[in-house]
Amino acid sequence: MIRHLLKLVWNRKRANALILVEIFFTFLVVFAVGTLGLFLWDNARRPLGFDWQDVWAVRVNMQAGSDDTFTAEQVETAARLVREVETLAPVEAVTGAMMEPFAFGQYTSGRTVNGRRVSMSVNEVTASFAEVMRFDVVRGRWFQPADAALAWRPVVIDEDLAREAWGEEDPIGRRLGDPDPKSPEPERRVIGVVRDFRHHGELSGPDNFVFYHKRLGHPQDRPPRVLLVRVRPGTPVAFEEELTRRLQAVAHEWSFEIAPLAQTRESAFRLRLTPLLVGGIVAFFLLLMVALGLLGVLWQNLLQRTREIGLRRAIGASRAEVHRQIILEQLLLTTLGVLLGTIVVIQLPVLDVFGSVLRPQVFGSGLLSASVAMYLLATVCALYPSTLAGRVQPAEALRYE
Amino acid sequence: MLGNYLKMALKVLARRKFFTFISLFGISLTLLVLLVATAMLDQIFAPQAPESRGDRTLGIYTASLRGEDSVYNGFAGYGLLDRAVRGLPQELPGVENISLFTTARAAISYVGGQKIESSLKRTDGAYWQILDFSFLEGGPFTAEDDAAARFVAVINETTRGRFFGDEPAVGRTIEVDGQRFRVVGVVRDVPILRVVAYSEIWVPVSTAKSRAYLKEYQGNFMALLLAHSRADFPQIKAAVDRRLDLAEAHIPDRRMFQTIDAGADTLFEAVSRTLFEARESRPELLWALLLGLAVLFMILPSINLVNLNLSRILDRASEIGVRKAFGASSHTLVGQFVVENVVLTLLGGALGLGLAAAVLAGLNESGVIPYADLRLNFRVFFEGLALALFFGLFSGVYPAWKMSRLHPVQALRGRTV
Repeated sequence: MIRHLLKLVWNRKRANALILVEIFFTFLVVFAVGTLGLFLWDNARRPLGFDWQDVWAVRVNMQAGSDDTFTAEQVETAARLVREVETLAPVEAVTGAMMEPFAFGQYTSGRTVNGRRVSMSVNEVTASFAEVMRFDVVRGRWFQPADAALAWRPVVIDEDLAREAWGEEDPIGRRLGDPDPKSPEPERRVIGVVRDFRHHGELSGPDNFVFYHKRLGHPQDRPPRVLLVRVRPGTPVAFEEELTRRLQAVAHEWSFEIAPLAQTRESAFRLRLTPLLVGGIVAFFLLLMVALGLLGVLWQNLLQRTREIGLRRAIGASRAEVHRQIILEQLLLTTLGVLLGTIVVIQLPVLDVFGSVLRPQVFGSGLLSASVAMYLLATVCALYPSTLAGRVQPAEALRYE
Repeated sequence: MLGNYLKMALKVLARRKFFTFISLFGISLTLLVLLVATAMLDQIFAPQAPESRGDRTLGIYTASLRGEDSVYNGFAGYGLLDRAVRGLPQELPGVENISLFTTARAAISYVGGQKIESSLKRTDGAYWQILDFSFLEGGPFTAEDDAAARFVAVINETTRGRFFGDEPAVGRTIEVDGQRFRVVGVVRDVPILRVVAYSEIWVPVSTAKSRAYLKEYQGNFMALLLAHSRADFPQIKAAVDRRLDLAEAHIPDRRMFQTIDAGADTLFEAVSRTLFEARESRPELLWALLLGLAVLFMILPSINLVNLNLSRILDRASEIGVRKAFGASSHTLVGQFVVENVVLTLLGGALGLGLAAAVLAGLNESGVIPYADLRLNFRVFFEGLALALFFGLFSGVYPAWKMSRLHPVQALRGRTV
């Protein structure tokens, strides 16, 4: 049956070639938009790992010429800022960090663990970070102020990183990063593991994450770039004004910018979703265009094949059989187009392009959904023309010639 | 003769309503997307007011500082830009004016317990001479205001509404980020896509809370250079490059960064510089990217159009046969099909233009993009139309021509090429 249909398709190769090309390109478009959508959706349903509600970020600009040099005086001022904020009534807790969640930009670091290269995102936070962001440690413990006295530097990692670096083994007490004589670094040891921490927000992909311990007021640690303040629920925005005034009173020369995490989160969402939305709308109309075009072409082709179909009916083929033949022919053509598209698309993971987006699960479901969409499109387009074909009267075929 | 063709074409199109609809749908939709996309690009790059002199303006929009293992990609600081442009108008006759100003940053005000968030830009006096704002009330602040660090502000129409309702604002005071400014002018809203001109509140650079910015190499400043004409560009670029080379010796943090990658660019060059993280601006790369995207987008509609046209023509084999049998020449037949396709494409084009105008008006009204002022680009419209015409003729006329050379008897029997 298939072989026979293939022959039929081959007999009309010129008309079919164009349909094939059209299906091929449509498949690529659907795959691209679908995979991106699936990637974001798959990300969004994973737990975030912290609670952003009622947390305000205070970006601290020390108005110094460079980002990485700082004075003992600045370190002292930063510590005073934190103490000042802690005393305010609407504040539940405050912490200092290098980066705020959801914000654009990241700091990644590569390390060799057991001879394997592992890359991870880093944030340097003070001991109260876990209290402000409200997450629990699943293994080991979180930082405490007394850690400042340790001979080595403690780190807390997330489950992603624990899995990648040590698999199923217990990471507590392990050294993060093999000793490297070329770039001497303080020894860092894992003291705790938290659930996946998705610093870049719900829409970002999984990411290895590590927290360094920032010692507030320690002359060797850079003053925090951002203070994260957990305020009591229902604190009015007017408190921002008060907060700024108090901060300004401690550090006249510095400037502060307050933004609730909810707001940063929203703009991060917008930044990521707008391109998808625009792409989705354009892809939808392209699809509609292709669907209508395909419908028209199939219809037209059938009108030309009236004789052939009439003949089949005359020698005893039932209406349903003709109907099925037309749809199967179309599905066969779609299969060819989808196969062609799959061959092209599969090159992406093979060549390791977009590796972070095309993780196996996303790639697989993207491929599947694009294929299903193409078959659906083809069936819908072939439905009406094939019904028409089924209605062809044998007499009509005989009327020709 | 032509009138006859036209009549025939419209008849044929009306007879096959479904096919006409699909073709029109494809052509107009493709043009719609092209036009909306270019309207956005125009809003960013084209010299539209207040950047009416944008075609003879260069800017230092971003800067990279590089060291052995550190890179800073971002906006430049005042100190760096000052070294790059200060005194250039006296040095180079081609430079008419220079301006230093910050990017628009969020600024908070509280009015009667309500929080108002505005974009705030700090500028010098020359900014108002290079750009061409249209003032509804009052006027700009001047270089003297900036030199004396007077707390004066220019606000846009919407901000006036937020603070004062619809009453006149000049002479009244606004409090922004804890600083009080006297309003001296109100300008018409500026689209957010215009990086240089966009803001909601403009105040003098010297009103910044600390003077530390004066020495910064990393910061949030941009510089504009107004040239007398485009012919002066190469000279200005070279002069800025020389000055930036000299500025490398004064990088505040020499241990981390040793070189500066920046330069006087047109906006388009600047975007390609940041996009491709190139050390030199490579505008041709951005052109290639944009063209590539456009081609990729148009492949499907083109194939669709070709596909439809082909099957439409094949279907009309017998019609061609009849006409040939009655003595029509190949030329006449081709002429007929040309007219038919042109009519179809023009109809689709008109429809696309109408749709695009409606969508742009909707976008401007809706406020999805703050203060958007998107306009139709007719050059792109005609280019898109020409492309549609090409594919239409290629797919509609060529097969018709081949068929018209068949023997009438074969054509009549419905034999296809």
